[in-house]
Amino acid sequence: MRIRRNRLLAAPLFALLGIAAFAGPAQASGESVGGCMAEVIHEAEEHHGQDHDVLHDEHVQDDLEKCFEAPNPILPELNEIIWGGAAFLILFVLMVKKGFPAVKGAMDARAERIRSDLDAADQARIDAQAVQADYEARLADAKAEASRLIDEARSAADQVKTDLMARHEAEMAELRTRAAADIESSRTQAIADLRAEVAGIALGAAERVVQSSLDADVQGRLIDAYIDEVAGGNG
Amino acid sequence: MNVLALDFPPVSHLFEWPDMLFGGTAYAVNKTVLIYLAAVAITGAIFLLAGRKTGSLVPAGIQHVAESGVTFIEESVVMETIGEEGKKFVPFLTTMFFFILFSNIFEVVPGIQFPANSRMAVPITLALVVWVIYNFVGIKAQGLGGYLKNSLFPPGVPVALYLIVTPIELVSTFVVRPFSLAIRLWANMVAGHLLLVTFAVLTHTLWTSTYVGAVAPFAMLTLMTGFEILVSVLQAFIFTILTAVYIGGSLHPAH
Repeated sequence: MRIRRNRLLAAPLFALLGIAAFAGPAQASGESVGGCMAEVIHEAEEHHGQDHDVLHDEHVQDDLEKCFEAPNPILPELNEIIWGGAAFLILFVLMVKKGFPAVKGAMDARAERIRSDLDAADQARIDAQAVQADYEARLADAKAEASRLIDEARSAADQVKTDLMARHEAEMAELRTRAAADIESSRTQAIADLRAEVAGIALGAAERVVQSSLDADVQGRLIDAYIDEVAGGNG
Repeated sequence: MNVLALDFPPVSHLFEWPDMLFGGTAYAVNKTVLIYLAAVAITGAIFLLAGRKTGSLVPAGIQHVAESGVTFIEESVVMETIGEEGKKFVPFLTTMFFFILFSNIFEVVPGIQFPANSRMAVPITLALVVWVIYNFVGIKAQGLGGYLKNSLFPPGVPVALYLIVTPIELVSTFVVRPFSLAIRLWANMVAGHLLLVTFAVLTHTLWTSTYVGAVAPFAMLTLMTGFEILVSVLQAFIFTILTAVYIGGSLHPAH
């Protein structure tokens, strides 16, 4: 493969070298009219000898005239038509059979590869968008669910708070009622105790003061009346 | 030829090259022929080497040159002038473009410095090939009668004008076209070669006599060398696109 490639590279190189090698002598032949005339005169002098008047020789004059002649540049040369036509034909066959199909095939294959890659990329993008949409939907559901749960928790907490407050109020009221009842009971007991204590003290005192004129019932009524009076004054 | 103290070679001596092989025969090889062969070798090598590099996704080097050439001919020449059905002509037009280009470009290659298309052989040969092709394509696509009718009596022209238009079309389509195609290429390359030779001779003469005086013609020689590269490419393109236009005209008479 590498050797064939090198040979292919060498072909135009050798062609260039060939042209360059021949270019020197070819350019040298592209002499001026003066050079051409000098060459004709020199050849004539060599041929006829220095003594011969070459400039008045008709043959030499004809040769000198030819130095001014030039072929019509617009008329193609047969050998160049043959080689040029053959060269183009060979190149055309080479291109149609080998070069062009290979290059065009590579270009088409690359275009097809790029097209399929782009299609695959498009499909991947569509898939990714679908996955993204799915994830976004799920995320939205999750957010809604979380929000609902938070609301439920909040309302439950509010309910618990309300219940607790209500129960607390009830307990407080009960405690207050019970405390009031206890206080009333204690007060009544204290009054009764006090009354009994006062009655005893008063009785004892009254016994000492009015021992002989009052019996026990009268004393009792007097004492109760007194205590009621005292209680009414405090009450 | 002595012109204003310049030893300018006769014009024929700038284009006529002596035979190197088979001298005096119809198969004589000279410098012009070698340039044709070099153009074949270079174009063939480019495409054969490029065709072997098929794996890379991004073309580079010689593959890029070949593919750019094919794309250029296909997109900028064929699709613009003929259309989809002209794609079968892409190999022919690509071959023609590269063959003309490399035959021209030797005009500026040091040591060679001669455009092979400043000789009439290849321009007239290719022009006649093109003439045969576009006439064949026209007859095949429209039939002989249709092709002649559409060529000589273009639709949309007032009938009275056919007296003038038909002879003009006859001469221009069937006679002048191949010659104008050939002469355009040939004359441009002749003129370019003469320009370069003129400034080269001027530079050489003024350098040997004044040194400083050679600066201006040398600058022009440099400038003209760059310009001739452009001309070489442009003439190859013009020859190719005109060929495509002629083929397109034969396929689509309405255009």
